Amino acid sequence: MDFDDILSGARQELRRGTIVPACLLLLRRPGYGYALIDELDQLGFTVDANTLYPLLRRLEGQGMLVSEWNTEESRPRKFYRTSPDGERLAAELLADWRRIDASIHRLDVGDPR
Amino acid sequence: MSTLTSRYVWGVLRAVPERQRADLEPEIRALIADAVEARTAAAQGDDAAAERAALTELGDPELLAARYTERSLHLIGPGYYLDYRRLLTLLLTIVVPIVTLATMVAGFVAGMGVAPLVLNGVFAGLSIGIQLAFWVTLVFALVERNGARRAGRPMAWTPDRLPSVPSPSRLGTGEAVASVVGSVIVIGVILWQPPFYADGGTVPFFNPALTTTWGAWFIGVAVLQIAFTVLVYAARRWTWPIATVNAALGAAFAIPAVWLLQTGQLLSPEVRAEIERVGAGAALVPTAAVISVVVIGAVAWDALGGFRRTRRRDPG
Repeated sequence: MDFDDILSGARQELRRGTIVPACLLLLRRPGYGYALIDELDQLGFTVDANTLYPLLRRLEGQGMLVSEWNTEESRPRKFYRTSPDGERLAAELLADWRRIDASIHRLDVGDPR
Repeated sequence: MSTLTSRYVWGVLRAVPERQRADLEPEIRALIADAVEARTAAAQGDDAAAERAALTELGDPELLAARYTERSLHLIGPGYYLDYRRLLTLLLTIVVPIVTLATMVAGFVAGMGVAPLVLNGVFAGLSIGIQLAFWVTLVFALVERNGARRAGRPMAWTPDRLPSVPSPSRLGTGEAVASVVGSVIVIGVILWQPPFYADGGTVPFFNPALTTTWGAWFIGVAVLQIAFTVLVYAARRWTWPIATVNAALGAAFAIPAVWLLQTGQLLSPEVRAEIERVGAGAALVPTAAVISVVVIGAVAWDALGGFRRTRRRDPG
C-alpha cells in the first residue's frame, strides 16, 4: 500500500470527530448550510455536503443547534445557531481536545509520565 | 424550478418517512439553490452545467435521505452479523442433511429408482437451504432496522460461548463426513445393483442370491455406522464404549465381506463366467486376496485408532 493512501486513511479517521465541535464553535454566529461548507473548507475541515447537512439536522434534533428561516434575502435560507446546550457540549469537547493535545505532546517529547 | 432539481428533491423525499417530508423539502431546495448559484458564477452563467455539477456533488439522493433519517445502509450490520452467521451455519448444517436424507429414505420406501431418489433428496436439501437462508436473513434484516438495539442484545457474548479447542482425540469433521459418505455409497451400491456389461447384455454385478440376506445385513450395518458417526461427532470425544462399538461395526462389515469374497459368493455367477471367458479367471483369487487384505487392514487401523484416541484422552 502506498504511503499517501495510508496517510489519507489515517487522516480521515483522525478528523472524523472534529466536524461536530467545529460546527458548534463556528455557529456561535448564525450560518446556513452552503456557506458553512465553504467556511469549514477554508479552515481546513473538509466535509461533504451530503454529510454536513444531515449532521446539522441531527444536532438540531438533539437540541445542540437551533434554526430559523431567514426570509429577508432573495431566497429563504435556514440559519443554524449553537444553543446553550450546544455551548456546553462544545466546551466539554474542547476540554477533551486540549487533554488529548497535551497527552500527544507529552508522548511526542518522550516523557509519557 | 428545473426538472433535474425537482427530480432530485423527489428522489430524496420519497426515501424519507412522509411526516418528515414537508419539513425537509424547503431545506433541500434551499441547499441546492445555493449550490447552483455559487456554481453559476464559476460556469460563466451556464445554469444547466451548474445545476448538474451541484447535484453531482450532493450525490445519490437515497444516500442523502439515509443520512437524514439515520437509516442503516447495510442489510445486517456488525452488531448482528456474527449472531446471524452462527445461527445460519447451525441451521444449515443440521437441517439440510436431515431433510436430504429423510427425502431419500421416503423415496426408497416408496420404491423409487436410485437416480430420481438421489435427485429428489438433493433438490429437497437445496430448497430447504434456500428457504432457511432467506427467512433467517429477512428476520435479521428486520431486527437490524427496527431493532431491539436499546433493549440489549439477547445473544450477548460471554466466555462460556468459547468453542472448545479441537483435541486430537476427537472425531474430525473430515473423518465424520468421509465415514457417512462411505456408508451412503455402500447402501447405494447395494440398492442400485451396478450392472455389468457382459457379452450380449447386462447382468447384475453382485450375486443376486445375497440381496435379501447379506444385502440387508450390510445396509443395516451402514445405517448403524451413520448413526454412530453422528453420535461420536456430537459427543466430541472418544470413550471406551464408543471405541468398542466402532471396532464391532468395523468387524460386522469386514468379516462377512471378506468371507463372501473369499468363498466366491460375492459376485454374480454371470460375472464370474464372463471373467473366466475373457481368460482373466486366474486373476480372481489374487485380486480377492489383495482386496481382503486392504479391507481388513483399513478396518483394523480404524478400530485401533479408536482405542488409541481413547487412551490418549483417558489414560485411566
